[in-house]
Amino acid sequence: MKSRADSEEDQTPALFSERPEWSDVVTVPQYETDTPIAPILYSPEYQDASDYFRAIVKSQEHSERVLDLTEHLIRLNPAHYTAWQYRYETLLALSSPFETELELMNELAVKYLKTYQVWHHRRLLITHLRTPQPELKFIERCLQVDSKNYHTWSYRQWLLSHFVDNEDLWRDELDFVENAIGDDVRNNSAWHHRHFVVFGCGVRPGDEDRARVARRELTFTKQTISLAPNNLSAWNYLRGVLDTMKLPYSLLTQFVKPYTVPLDPKRIDIVDLENPPPPPGAQLPCVHAIEMLADIHEQAGDKDNILQAVELWKSLANEHDTMRVKYWEHRIRDALNSR
Amino acid sequence: MVLIIQIKRLVADILSILRQFLWARFAKLGPPLLPSSEETSENSSSRRKMDEIQLPPFNRSGHAAHARRCMSALPRSQIELDASRLALAFYNLGILDLLGDLNDVTAPPQWQKDGWINWLWAQQTHGKYGSGFRPSPFMTLHPLESNLEYSDYDAPHLIMTYTALLALAILRDDFSKLDRSGLITFLRACQREDGSFMTTPKDGENDLRTLYCAFAISAMLDDWSGVDVERAKAFIASCRTYEGGYGQAPFCEAQGTRFQPKSEPFQCLRLITLSSAPRLLTGGTTYIAVASLYLAPSSTGSGPLTAIEKAQTVRWLVNNQTAVKDGEATLGGFAGRTGKPADSCYCFWCGAALKILKYDGLIETKPLALFLARCQFKFGGISKFEGEHPDPYHTYLSMAALSMYPPSPLLAEEKPESWKFPVLDPLLNARVETAEWAKKNISGKGQ
Ligand SMILES: [Zn+2]
Repeated sequence: MKSRADSEEDQTPALFSERPEWSDVVTVPQYETDTPIAPILYSPEYQDASDYFRAIVKSQEHSERVLDLTEHLIRLNPAHYTAWQYRYETLLALSSPFETELELMNELAVKYLKTYQVWHHRRLLITHLRTPQPELKFIERCLQVDSKNYHTWSYRQWLLSHFVDNEDLWRDELDFVENAIGDDVRNNSAWHHRHFVVFGCGVRPGDEDRARVARRELTFTKQTISLAPNNLSAWNYLRGVLDTMKLPYSLLTQFVKPYTVPLDPKRIDIVDLENPPPPPGAQLPCVHAIEMLADIHEQAGDKDNILQAVELWKSLANEHDTMRVKYWEHRIRDALNSR
Repeated sequence: MVLIIQIKRLVADILSILRQFLWARFAKLGPPLLPSSEETSENSSSRRKMDEIQLPPFNRSGHAAHARRCMSALPRSQIELDASRLALAFYNLGILDLLGDLNDVTAPPQWQKDGWINWLWAQQTHGKYGSGFRPSPFMTLHPLESNLEYSDYDAPHLIMTYTALLALAILRDDFSKLDRSGLITFLRACQREDGSFMTTPKDGENDLRTLYCAFAISAMLDDWSGVDVERAKAFIASCRTYEGGYGQAPFCEAQGTRFQPKSEPFQCLRLITLSSAPRLLTGGTTYIAVASLYLAPSSTGSGPLTAIEKAQTVRWLVNNQTAVKDGEATLGGFAGRTGKPADSCYCFWCGAALKILKYDGLIETKPLALFLARCQFKFGGISKFEGEHPDPYHTYLSMAALSMYPPSPLLAEEKPESWKFPVLDPLLNARVETAEWAKKNISGKGQ
């Protein structure tokens, strides 16, 4: 396959209608009604490539030059799902080396990071090649370009679940996600990935002791919160761990309380790894901590606890989270009515 | 017997009075952790100030003109829409529908509407996987009027079929040309073993969006024989995340919607201004999941979500409303994922999901309208956030959000009526009259 770098040197690529090796093809124009909705004023380049592509599909040709044509078309319109589909069938028909195709995809994926087809095509290739290991590094490169890209994260989750028994592939995944969270503690995609790695794909060897896993996850999350308390992603993960493991929220009472009140400048910290305190200078009280403490009280369920939860919700409604005043009022009504 | 009922009623009344009494008491108590009555009154005065803020006019004629320009032609920078033109048609027609521009004096002439209808029907195609609509004639190998069967490369597309049916309903077509049994066959051909649906029968994207389209089509047909509802529901359940939202596929992060590509420098065709090739019908997946569950015929007496699940989803949805201070005002747009900035389309996706769950009373409408007001582009159209270029997708969804959440109290510098929209059906995502028309005429049972 000719690489793009070569053809870019001769400036604009010639139209297919000007290429002698395509002169045997009778093009198929785009048919339209007299009154089209939202017709696109195509560039001559795209129109030309589309005319030839329709002709190729009509004649069912699967040859080397079809790879050229589809690559050209995909670069002009990466959302052209038929071009991708036909390209893949051509690769199969020619027994074309998928390794070469993957190299081309390394370039295109970064260029069209937000196009579904790029990732879909890659899945097809890797399913065939069964070489998941180098993909991890590739994904990391993509995440450096866009650390929250939905497709990139979905692809990593697909890869890990598709090759779920590949221990080499999985070995460093927890370290990887720990680093990703370390790079940006507010990256919700990274938190979500952590939940997938720890809970979403069966029990990994070494993780059989679920109580220990739960402790590890709670400690990790509490430490992260103690660095940046006002981070909803981490609080949601904390809840997620408890919900998934069916543990009571009251396990967090000691930890949560210091985050629900203003910072005391005269506070003396006692080193407590289970309950790391808020950092100096933190913006407190923290809305998510107040919400958590209210939920702890609500879960306890008796009258006194409900009253305490109501007070906390009121402080959120009136003061700390006024955008959600109606939500907190709803929580209060709900708790009082269900008693 | 009568006596027992009366006693029961009496007890219930007493309990409810007690509850109200308790409620009134709690409402008066100051917050114990931070006893700061000053701050509380400060807060209520800031709320009052917020109520007094006047909205700028909503640029109805500008947005209508933007939609009509997009209907007439798109610049070459929009080539990426070639494979989803029909969805674009739906959003543009939806804009005109919500603005009431299709039936009043400024309405397009009937010959133009007939032309649009004609183009939409020209996309209905039939073949070995049944009947449905293609995105555009971009891969058609034979003249449209030839009526030959489609090839594997020009098969109908599930998302486009859903948007085509709604677009035709907006134009009040009678659906006499609809191949209903072919459509059922097509739905069957798209469903996979795991319950999910592919965009096209042979190959294609499969995620929650396509499942929603299959459900919406079945609801409009009033015929669910084309889908295996239980397997599809199991697939939805597998997309649920620990946050209480839904991802596009099993294991995926909960989101309001799939992302739009970043705006790139665009080529301007006279007055057409669009953000660079937006992904159409990206479908906020949490909305998509909730709407699908509530569209489906229920097999059991209980609701589609447990009380705990519902509470968790509502929490996730309301947490997506952001609060950005801007002088006296607070802008309250919705974000699509935890910790992301607000984007106008999520005002619909999150708002509509809350509406379906019957928790629409929890949304602050004034900050929402203030956020959307800022997303208006000066030459018409609405963008995802202030300073971006507009597109029909964000324009339509912003208006759909406003029709569910009209700003209250409605104070505007001028033309307060410009903020008023007809009522929306949140399950099918169309104004109620259009949704009713669709159900009546697509099923063919209401005639
Ligand atoms: Zn958006």
